[in-house]
Amino acid sequence: MKKLVAVTACPTGIAHTYMAAENLALAAKELGVEIKVETQGSVGVENKLSEEDIWAAEAVIIAAATKVDRSRFAGKAILEVPVEQAIKDPKELIEKALQLQKPKDYVEEVREIKREQAAARSGVYKHLMTGVSYMIPFVVAGGILIAISFAFGIEAFKQPGTLPAALMQIGGGSAFALMVPILSAYIAFSIADRPGLVPGFVGGMLAVSTGAGFLGGIISGFLAGYTIEILRKAIRLPRTLEGLMPVLILPVLSCLIVGLLMIYAIGTPIKGIMTGLTNWLSGLSNANAALLGLVLGLMMAFDMGGPVNKAAYTFATGLLASNIFAPMAAVMAAGMTPPLGLALATVIAKDRFTKEEIEAGKAAWFLGISFITEGAIPFAAADPLRVIPSIMIGSGITGALSMLFGAMLRVPHGGIFVLPIPHAVTNLPLYILAIAIGTVVTALLVAVLKKR
Amino acid sequence: MDIAAVLNEKCIELNLKARNKEEAIRELTDLLSEQGLITDQEEFFTAVQEREKLFSTGIGMGIAIPHGKSPAVRQAAVAFGRSANGVDFNSMDDKPAHLIFLLAVPEDANDLHLQVLSTLSRLLMHKEVREALSKATSAAEVVAAFKTGAENE
Repeated sequence: MKKLVAVTACPTGIAHTYMAAENLALAAKELGVEIKVETQGSVGVENKLSEEDIWAAEAVIIAAATKVDRSRFAGKAILEVPVEQAIKDPKELIEKALQLQKPKDYVEEVREIKREQAAARSGVYKHLMTGVSYMIPFVVAGGILIAISFAFGIEAFKQPGTLPAALMQIGGGSAFALMVPILSAYIAFSIADRPGLVPGFVGGMLAVSTGAGFLGGIISGFLAGYTIEILRKAIRLPRTLEGLMPVLILPVLSCLIVGLLMIYAIGTPIKGIMTGLTNWLSGLSNANAALLGLVLGLMMAFDMGGPVNKAAYTFATGLLASNIFAPMAAVMAAGMTPPLGLALATVIAKDRFTKEEIEAGKAAWFLGISFITEGAIPFAAADPLRVIPSIMIGSGITGALSMLFGAMLRVPHGGIFVLPIPHAVTNLPLYILAIAIGTVVTALLVAVLKKR
Repeated sequence: MDIAAVLNEKCIELNLKARNKEEAIRELTDLLSEQGLITDQEEFFTAVQEREKLFSTGIGMGIAIPHGKSPAVRQAAVAFGRSANGVDFNSMDDKPAHLIFLLAVPEDANDLHLQVLSTLSRLLMHKEVREALSKATSAAEVVAAFKTGAENE
């Protein structure tokens, strides 16, 4: 049986203390949970909780209107509520207490933050991010295999029947080629569930064949999803024929609508935009390239995994489909420096941080080199006005330097672990330098700005 | 456990005349005062009001337990009043209170008496006890309701 302990206390210590205790005991009995309640009333402490009681308990409920000493419960999950709540909703309290988790360690906390961010997304943003999250592994696998193929020589894959040719066929011809259709399909899936997959995939394939690229894929994804939604609402079949909807009616009609729109209305204009964009990006002067890198860097650090960060990231990843690799390098570098910079800061300026932050700093090294920008969030949450500007400036500098040094990256994730793969990144030494400089800048800014 | 030690049958009013919280507390204070359990009505009343300000003693389920700790209380005691129309006590469930218990606690309370008060409070959390109190037709039956409740623990 699950065990809980509780302490009840109220100012006069005559009535509420005991009523809370009684109601908690009654509710626990009903829920099949064991509970021991210590009361702190006018008569003094009754039913005092022993060390074993506390150790064996899943969680602690403190229902008090006065201060209760919490040092006995160190390390335990505690639910603290006003004493009336224990009288009014004891069952709810017990259920809530059983669901509490022990105080999390830093890595778990970052994971939790990522989960919460994902759950909080809604609407258009959520659909887009769903598509992106399905797409990323394809691009990672494809990009790395292409890079390995280049290890044999940039033109090596052109020799039919060789290993590099096979690697290029797997990575470039297959994995990478699926990038835009997957993006489109899963945007549609997020909107309309399974039926969205058909027009989503088909629309995405058409985005590729019409040259509309990843932008076309995003459009086709939303188009496909909402087309299915409209068709579902507009077409009402008698119950016996309903089975035909997902198998016949929806696929045929949605493909027709989305396909024709892509070919006749969307493909060409979007292709024009993509061509213009890629031409502009390829022809950037050094100054403008650095400016772009700066902006991307600032965006990556601004909300560390939030919408602005994701916008920069998606933009850079999408460009991979059009063979533009420089923004990707800038974005990944700029995403690594916030946690790395904070980790360095906890080493060089120990007296500015709490004990927990210094411990967290040790883990932040690993999160940083793995390109998990969210590792900086706990630090930023504790001291936003000093931390956020520092990481933004550091990331901005890294982004600008990466673009200036002409670094190019064809893989959208993996941090330091993809750097050793030959041809995954170009200008590796300068790229690492860009990351290092940004890390040091962030660390120095944080150390200078933070109070002792 | 002798409930009678704190709940004197003469301090039980099955038909409270009070129409609001203040009147209810005064009516019950009078009962305690008539039995010589309170030496200074005003001082005790102030103590109860002070406690009421912290957070309301209308705990819902039709019960209110105003209480006060004061040197004006000679010995721990309870006065019980039942209101047919209900009295607004700013209860947690927004419903009027029909069963009102006024608890009086002296500054240096006798532990035994306090134990009885705490048991009384606990018993009020049991539905059977509240039902018996609502149906009681005499002061004796009120005391009996608590005694039965205590035995069934």
